Amino acid sequence: MPTIDVRDELLANLLGGAVPEADELERLLSTAKAEVEGYDPAIGVRRVELKDTSRPDLWTTPGLARHLRCYRGDALPDYPFVSTGAAPPDTGERVVEVDPALEKVRPCIAAFTAAGPPVSEALLLELIQAQEKLSDSYGQRRRAIAMGLYRAGAIEWPVHYRAAPPDTTRFVPLGFEQELSLTEILDQHPKGKEYGHIVRGQAAFPYLEDAAGATLSFPPVINSAGLGSVAVGDDYFFVELTGPHLDILLLVASIAACDLADAGYTIEPVLIRYPYDTAHGRDVVTPRYFQAETGIELAGAERLLGEQIAPEEGRRLVQRMGSRARVEGSSLVVTPPPYRNDFLHAVDVVEEIAIGRGLGSFEPELPDEFTAGSLTASTRFSRAARDVLVGLGYQEMIFNYLGAQRDFTERMNAPGRMLVEVANPMTENYAVVRDSIIPCLLAAEMSSQNAAYPHHMFEVGKVALRDDDDATGSRTVDACTLLVADRAAGFNDASAHLAALLFYLGAEHRLVELDDSRFIAGRAAGVEASAPAASAAEAGERTWTPIGVLGELHPAVLEQWSIGMPCATVELHLDTLRDILHHA
Amino acid sequence: MNVKQLHPLEVRVLRAAAAEAPFTAADLMAAAGMNLGQCNQAFSWLEGKGLIAERERAQEVRYELTELGEQYRRDGLPEERMVALLRDAGPLPMPEIAARLGLEQRDVGSAYGALAREGVLAMDGARQVEVGAAGGESARVATVRGLLDRLAGGAAAADELTEAEREQAAALSRKRGAARGVFRAVESESVSYALTEAGQEMRRAAAEAGLSGVEVGALTPDMLADGSWRGVQFRRYNVNSPPGRVLLGRHNPYTAYLDRVRDQLTALGFEEFDGPLVETNFWCLDALFMPQFHAAREEHDVYFIKEPRHASRLPEPYLERVAATHADGWQTGSRGWGYRFDPDFARRTILRSHGTVVSAKTLTRAKVPGKYFGIMRCFRPDDVDASHLADFYQTEGIVLGEQVNLKTLLGLLKLFAEEVAGAASADVRYEPAYFPFTEPSVEVFIRHPTVGWIELGGSGIFRPEVTRPLGVDVPVLAWGLGIDRMAMMSLGIDDIRDLFSPDLDQVRRLVAH
Repeated sequence: MPTIDVRDELLANLLGGAVPEADELERLLSTAKAEVEGYDPAIGVRRVELKDTSRPDLWTTPGLARHLRCYRGDALPDYPFVSTGAAPPDTGERVVEVDPALEKVRPCIAAFTAAGPPVSEALLLELIQAQEKLSDSYGQRRRAIAMGLYRAGAIEWPVHYRAAPPDTTRFVPLGFEQELSLTEILDQHPKGKEYGHIVRGQAAFPYLEDAAGATLSFPPVINSAGLGSVAVGDDYFFVELTGPHLDILLLVASIAACDLADAGYTIEPVLIRYPYDTAHGRDVVTPRYFQAETGIELAGAERLLGEQIAPEEGRRLVQRMGSRARVEGSSLVVTPPPYRNDFLHAVDVVEEIAIGRGLGSFEPELPDEFTAGSLTASTRFSRAARDVLVGLGYQEMIFNYLGAQRDFTERMNAPGRMLVEVANPMTENYAVVRDSIIPCLLAAEMSSQNAAYPHHMFEVGKVALRDDDDATGSRTVDACTLLVADRAAGFNDASAHLAALLFYLGAEHRLVELDDSRFIAGRAAGVEASAPAASAAEAGERTWTPIGVLGELHPAVLEQWSIGMPCATVELHLDTLRDILHHA
Repeated sequence: MNVKQLHPLEVRVLRAAAAEAPFTAADLMAAAGMNLGQCNQAFSWLEGKGLIAERERAQEVRYELTELGEQYRRDGLPEERMVALLRDAGPLPMPEIAARLGLEQRDVGSAYGALAREGVLAMDGARQVEVGAAGGESARVATVRGLLDRLAGGAAAADELTEAEREQAAALSRKRGAARGVFRAVESESVSYALTEAGQEMRRAAAEAGLSGVEVGALTPDMLADGSWRGVQFRRYNVNSPPGRVLLGRHNPYTAYLDRVRDQLTALGFEEFDGPLVETNFWCLDALFMPQFHAAREEHDVYFIKEPRHASRLPEPYLERVAATHADGWQTGSRGWGYRFDPDFARRTILRSHGTVVSAKTLTRAKVPGKYFGIMRCFRPDDVDASHLADFYQTEGIVLGEQVNLKTLLGLLKLFAEEVAGAASADVRYEPAYFPFTEPSVEVFIRHPTVGWIELGGSGIFRPEVTRPLGVDVPVLAWGLGIDRMAMMSLGIDDIRDLFSPDLDQVRRLVAH
């Protein structure tokens, strides 16, 4: 979710008066799914968080202000400079010629110019912030959108959008004083290092220059220090956006153009001449409207809102939320403004109606359809095991499921255990999903050596086991693990507690000798369980299913964990045990 | 100080002691019916309370039998046995005596030497030993015999012995380093005490209260069996003395909190669901109509699985429908995202990043009407700090039915706020929210008495692009509650890592409020 700085000075201008009181502003912003995170009264700057990632038009101060004006009752503004393609306006000399070789590099561009008053510091900071939020946050770190701002007065038309040879094309990039080739920019310029990966490896790089051969920029990486350097007091701008898909560029071009128009600038369209086909033809005048109308049946809205909405009321509410609409019989047809493309489905319109009327105006109701509540078999069986262990004097623990690889392998004297590993860990401390709770309990014992002994601890929780038979390569099971640590703790304690646990869970069990390097040789056992036999005859034939292990931890393991007390443990897989008992 | 706070041993000493005259442990042992250890313990307590004061300290030697002494007492001294043998068998040569009595020759030699000096034994011409003129009676041996018999009943102080006895006891005592001795000399310090003024007062108080110090501590099964409890007085306990610490078995307060939430939700008619920790992009994100390449997806960072990188298969017809929905909306009434869906990217294995994935999977088998919930461990690549964990619980669920709409959505949130979070109805507020998979979306806030407004949870009505491909045609309400935050407030902790504390002491101390 993006967070933007909103300057009081700019917001007051755009609202045509004072900034509302804090409470009122909060209420108004909530209708834009925005929230004030902080305010610095000394410089008059608010941090505002925008929660709606499908509404980039709200990620700028002019865009937010437009929503607030409209919600408070102002008429929807008109932006006649946005063409529909039917009768394109005359763009005069303002033309961008596109190089055919760009089709495979970065094929699309949208552009316009804006003329008006000398830009203030507040507005210039706002434009830079908008450029950053729209290119980086909405434009997938400039992959989908890169936006550039230039001094239009010095440009010789037409502008050429070229595929340029990386090594022989040279200019002085913003922030540098000497010429660099495009390749050198990727290696030496901070922006080159940050965004160069988008174009690296291509035979030619995107490049903008004017008719006189002056460089505008190397999109999506860096502007030139000449035409691409704008300052407070400039009054005529050229704005362009490049990327692989045209519609998203048209959307963001409209956002930028409408914002500048709201700030008092005259927007002049630019003709883009493509040598290849686009969804909107070869000659595309931008800013350009490309959205489709969205119609909703009012009956459908009623189903979703739980209340009838009169057609005219629906139209008024949609308009309050910033879109024109008209009533056609039993439906409402919404025409999104040029800077919005978030009406995918009728439900998107229904939400506008709800927010337009205010959520507080809907009376909460409970459905009267009856449903029976229940817990999963896993929860019920886990609870039974947990209750017995608490009765046996064990303190229940709860641990994180992610851990360090070596805690589950080397430190358990069990190198080579196959674990579910994370491919992109933040740190090696959270790099694997546990396959056993024993290391978690040992970690707890390690950090609890000042707690009064004896220590009886357990956890019932999930572990992930590698399993090639599963489609995802692993299986999640409920494990139930206890650990006893004390001067005289050993196999017998753990075995007695295991016997009590299984008795009360309704299972019979036997122990079989087990070689397991985690435990002292001869003091480890596999636990096998069976449902109680119905008769003596049956008792001889029943099958025993492995459900876990029991053992005294090997001193080499305890040493790895810096534990100074003997420890014994039992680990059971409750799912398996539950299946045995359930199917009996 | 109250006489009732005295230990029974202290009472017994006070009652047995003379009012004015000094006393030692030896003086009181018989009278108070106590052993030396009990006496000394009581003296130490009483002295600490200022009820008795030390008067004199004296060194004392007491004699007791060694093992050898005990053997001599039982079987006879070598001297006694030699005289008896010679009286029986007549004169015998020295080696013969040693052999017959099973004694060392040198012991026989030294015994003979002493007895010969006393004239008890003599040597004849044939160098055979015979009973002497005195008739075999030795005053010395008689004294030693007397001492052996006396000490068999217990040690005796040196000054209780006759001078002759003291001489023999000293002579036959084990010396330092000597292997054998008949007696052992034990040196001890004898301390005498006298009652202080406070002690005399307490002695009177004990007498007046009728305390003897022989009050019974524990009621025993024997007393109940033979009825002897009727004749005893039970000692009064100091009810304020600190009890011992008990280490008990106990549920973890956090899991107990989660259990309570589970019970509340089932009581409200919700059926619990669950799912695996390892999921796919498909179920976690694609099925929730989050476009594969989009700003919303960038926000939603996930842990990818190293091996296997891809699930071997995804279930149809869901894969096909979801792909079509992303591309052009399929039959959902949506225009879709307008891009070509990548089924390989959909198969990419990841750790479950939010609980809504299980809601989505549940849609494929859900009952209508139906209410479901799950408390599910989820994973996000976050820097772990006081408010972020790499794995944590999310509490989420769905409600399916013809009656699901914005008003019932608000009704459900109100129900959660009041029933689960315990908020008053005036302290509940709803705000518009954004989730990629719900429309409309609502967040619910409750007013906490000290913290102010806090977000309780988020919810919305699943987009048709989510429900239709999974085979559901009725509206579905999806909700999630911030249970971890509420648990932290209930447990009084402000570091989320403490919910999963490995510190046993900390867990033993944690109590929910």
